[in-house]
Amino acid sequence: MATAIYVPRINNNDDEVKVLAFDVAIGSKVENGQIVGQVETDKAVLDVTAAAAGFVLGFVANPDEVVKVGSVMLWLGENVDEAIPEPQETSLLRSTAKNSEITAKARLLLAQNGLQAELVTPIDGRITVEAVERYLAAQGGAKAEATKATESRATDVLPDVAGNQVSLSREEKGMAATVTWHRDFAVAGYIEIEYELGPWVEYAKQFQDKNGLLMPPLLPLMAWRLIQIAQEKTHLNATIVGNKRYEYSPVNLGFTIQAGEALYLAVVRNAQTQDELGFVNALGDVLRRAAGHNLKESEASGATIGFSSMERWKVTRHIPILSPHTSLMIAHAAGQGGKGVLGASYDHRVLNGGQVVAMLKKLAVPNKN
Amino acid sequence: MSLNKEAIEAAIKARIVEIAAETGDDASELGVDEIIPATGLIDSTGLLELIAWYEKTYQIPLAQEEINIDNLGTLARMADFVLRKKGLI
Repeated sequence: MATAIYVPRINNNDDEVKVLAFDVAIGSKVENGQIVGQVETDKAVLDVTAAAAGFVLGFVANPDEVVKVGSVMLWLGENVDEAIPEPQETSLLRSTAKNSEITAKARLLLAQNGLQAELVTPIDGRITVEAVERYLAAQGGAKAEATKATESRATDVLPDVAGNQVSLSREEKGMAATVTWHRDFAVAGYIEIEYELGPWVEYAKQFQDKNGLLMPPLLPLMAWRLIQIAQEKTHLNATIVGNKRYEYSPVNLGFTIQAGEALYLAVVRNAQTQDELGFVNALGDVLRRAAGHNLKESEASGATIGFSSMERWKVTRHIPILSPHTSLMIAHAAGQGGKGVLGASYDHRVLNGGQVVAMLKKLAVPNKN
Repeated sequence: MSLNKEAIEAAIKARIVEIAAETGDDASELGVDEIIPATGLIDSTGLLELIAWYEKTYQIPLAQEEINIDNLGTLARMADFVLRKKGLI
């Protein structure tokens, strides 16, 4: 008999969570207590474990999908061929669909799309994946295509070459979730400009001397300038949800930091409420905790705009991935011969090239007022 | 772990040499009174790594306002700061 694994509750305030990833594939054997995937809210990531041993029959939820706590996340069976039970809400309709055989994959596809079997016209008396996809295509091709794409990822098979599967660390899972959002949602563009290093270097040196800072404040000061610009041009601190631009109220500045093997996006929330020195200190504080792998949850999530630098590696150009639900990530790189390069990855659904260039030109010069 | 000034300076220098090596720099000649950020041997990310290591190694959680040139600018100052925090000087 098939066993459901349900979406767990992370905290009392969230009735919905996002499915981050699955660690198992359809058909794989799962032991009792084995981690099968992760869910997250904006506050925490939680491993989901199997309450029983079995074989993975299929996933009801998909990676990146927001689902209700307590809903079915995936099904386990005593053997790989066991059928996936129909959703409870369709049980009353079984009699009308009983004359049509429904294949296991079709059941899965129906469940993934929240469909009732009676809606689908059988093919040769059977409700197959093809029959369901025909129905979906008739309702809207994009949805069918999206389902196919998700299904193909969910059923990714092991390469036919010897190797070991290694579980991802929490940081690696976070990175995978970020690039998956970038791939699935953002329409990313990249633009860069050259600028004079001198004014910024001089400004940062004066600021450091005046305040007796140990850390060179150049990058935090540039990030502060970005925050100022984002307050003037609110579309820079925004994302797209549905067909509307969602302009954030706070400016939560995410700043990438490589700490050993881990890559973090350390976040200063409500950065617009700080003065210049306050922000430099606040950013130094979260970056120091990131370097020590001690970030709080609220400091590792919720970025609304981003800043990344690969100057330390003498990289002269890099094209950053956008953090989920952001439309702009600054790409700071190493300068040469008194000239620096400032780039930006941007979500072209939110911003156009002209807006990004105008922002970069402002960012290229310190605001000394 | 020895908590005398020379031993602390040596341990911090060894960590700086490791961090500098990550970006291909050699900090083996760093002097105890050289202003560390001014040498260019380790960048801001390297300094963050150093401070995170320093806090953990010597068990002295730092307030942001304590992270300044006067307290932590040189090997000698970093060693003195440990000893002051521990009440040993």
